[in-house]
Amino acid sequence: MPTRQNLYKRIVIVFGSTLLLLWIIVPSFWAFKTSLSPHEEAWKPLPSRMTLDHYISLFSPTYEAILRGQGLRATIPDPMIIYISNSFIVSLVASILGVFFGSLAGYSLARFNYPGKRFVVWLVLFAYVFPVFTLMVPITLIIRAIGLYNSLIGLALVHLAYTLPYSTLMMRSYFYGIPVSLEEAALIDGCTRFEALWRIVVPVAVPGFVTAFIFSFTLSWNDLLFALILLNTSKYYTLPIATTFFLFGGEIVDPGGLAATAIFAGIVPAVIYMFVQKYVVVGLIKGAVKM
Amino acid sequence: MKRRLKDSMYRWFYVLPTVVLVFFIFIVPIIYEVWLSFQAKPVGGEPVFAGLYNYQRLLSSETFYKTVANTIIYSFSSVFVKALIGLGAALLLNEKFWGRGFLRGFSILPWAFPSFVCAVLFWFNYDYRGTFNTLLKALGLQPVHWLSYNNAMLSVVILNIWHGWPFFFMGYLAGLQAIPVDLYEAADIDGATALQKFRHITLPMLKPVILTVVLLSLMWTMGEFTQIYMTTGGGPIDATLTIPIQTYKIAFQTEVNMPLAAAYSILVLPIYLALIYFTLRQMGE
Repeated sequence: MPTRQNLYKRIVIVFGSTLLLLWIIVPSFWAFKTSLSPHEEAWKPLPSRMTLDHYISLFSPTYEAILRGQGLRATIPDPMIIYISNSFIVSLVASILGVFFGSLAGYSLARFNYPGKRFVVWLVLFAYVFPVFTLMVPITLIIRAIGLYNSLIGLALVHLAYTLPYSTLMMRSYFYGIPVSLEEAALIDGCTRFEALWRIVVPVAVPGFVTAFIFSFTLSWNDLLFALILLNTSKYYTLPIATTFFLFGGEIVDPGGLAATAIFAGIVPAVIYMFVQKYVVVGLIKGAVKM
Repeated sequence: MKRRLKDSMYRWFYVLPTVVLVFFIFIVPIIYEVWLSFQAKPVGGEPVFAGLYNYQRLLSSETFYKTVANTIIYSFSSVFVKALIGLGAALLLNEKFWGRGFLRGFSILPWAFPSFVCAVLFWFNYDYRGTFNTLLKALGLQPVHWLSYNNAMLSVVILNIWHGWPFFFMGYLAGLQAIPVDLYEAADIDGATALQKFRHITLPMLKPVILTVVLLSLMWTMGEFTQIYMTTGGGPIDATLTIPIQTYKIAFQTEVNMPLAAAYSILVLPIYLALIYFTLRQMGE
């Protein structure tokens, strides 16, 4: 028998859920719909038929699609796959390096005590919250000076500024959660420190690595600023820069192509996130928030 | 004894690459930037030492104060609303009901989208023929120029809110789940109302999470570059010119003046350092 309070609660839940769904769906709807609409119907609220042309065009642009883009897109008629692969390369390098060095440091910070450890923790925390954009001038000049200007590797190294502090903090809190007794048992059984780490700790820490990797990957995948200032040739451009090709004087010149690019660039991280949602939450909150 | 010595070497060996990298990515550039900020670059010439020239120039320009004000308006209003929406969503999805699991996963979607993807989504929303104006027309209202001088700030704030609120939601939800159920049961026995339980149990228990999440988000929002750059580019005129955009413009677009941009960064750094200080203190290290 529902009491009056339960009834109120139900109304609030139904109303709140609907509102929440609308708030998420409405702003993302138009781009999604446009990416599936024929070109003539880009600005119609509902298309009369659906097409995958814009997505196929990402990988091999049709002549019409190139002509349609009167902006930069027309002068740089590379298939988007080039920019997609550039983004993949940069994000992979930045996140693999970040997670590798970050988990080494995280392990050391979680397990050992030594003079200077507090300083290292502060340094990493400082780097985690530091607004990197304030360093765009010196970083550009340094990258130019060491000859890594306009190269994907140079960009990936700078992206370590995002991925490394995050991975370190994330892995530190993850290693905290793994009982020391596991390793001690292995040490007593005759393993060396390294063997204990490799055989016992690493397998248990896989979800931690996955979270750190995914989050690092998206941090690098998201970056527009450093791609803008460190890359100079269109063949090295990453996806965020490439999306601006679809604009000309603030006008969208090829809505379908643009929408397909954005949905493609967004759906990759979004799908991964939904799958590992639990890990991401634990990782972020534990890595960032001490509770 | 031998093992102990080896161990102490490992400890350093493990953190060393990270310390070195952080040193070269953060500390060296900061020092270099301070040095750079005392230089001046004559048109077409090499930079020369110029003392506080850049700082004087910046402090006497109206644009400097405008960018600081814009950044504060942008980040504070955005974080405030994100915190409210996040709290509402977390309270809602902490209740048990059919479809909760799906809704929890789905709520992360905006945040899982990269910033530049969100910016593109909102190009379609803010376009004169786009989502928002279509909705306004359907409701019988006048369409709006979303990115005009008067509306641009509101538009970039809405975009930032839409993208960033799930971070608050996730933080709060994790915090809510950590509150012991018996606190609520005891309150029930004492006959507390829902509002009283919220005020005297939920809020105080959530306080540390709220503070940390707000501070982190404030830092990130004050550093937001992509969304503003891709929607308004800091314009029209200076309506949405925030600190990150202005740094970029001075260094690479309007002035192409590296020393001036360096001085600008150093000048605004205290604002960020103050926040960093509170954030680190809150994070309890």
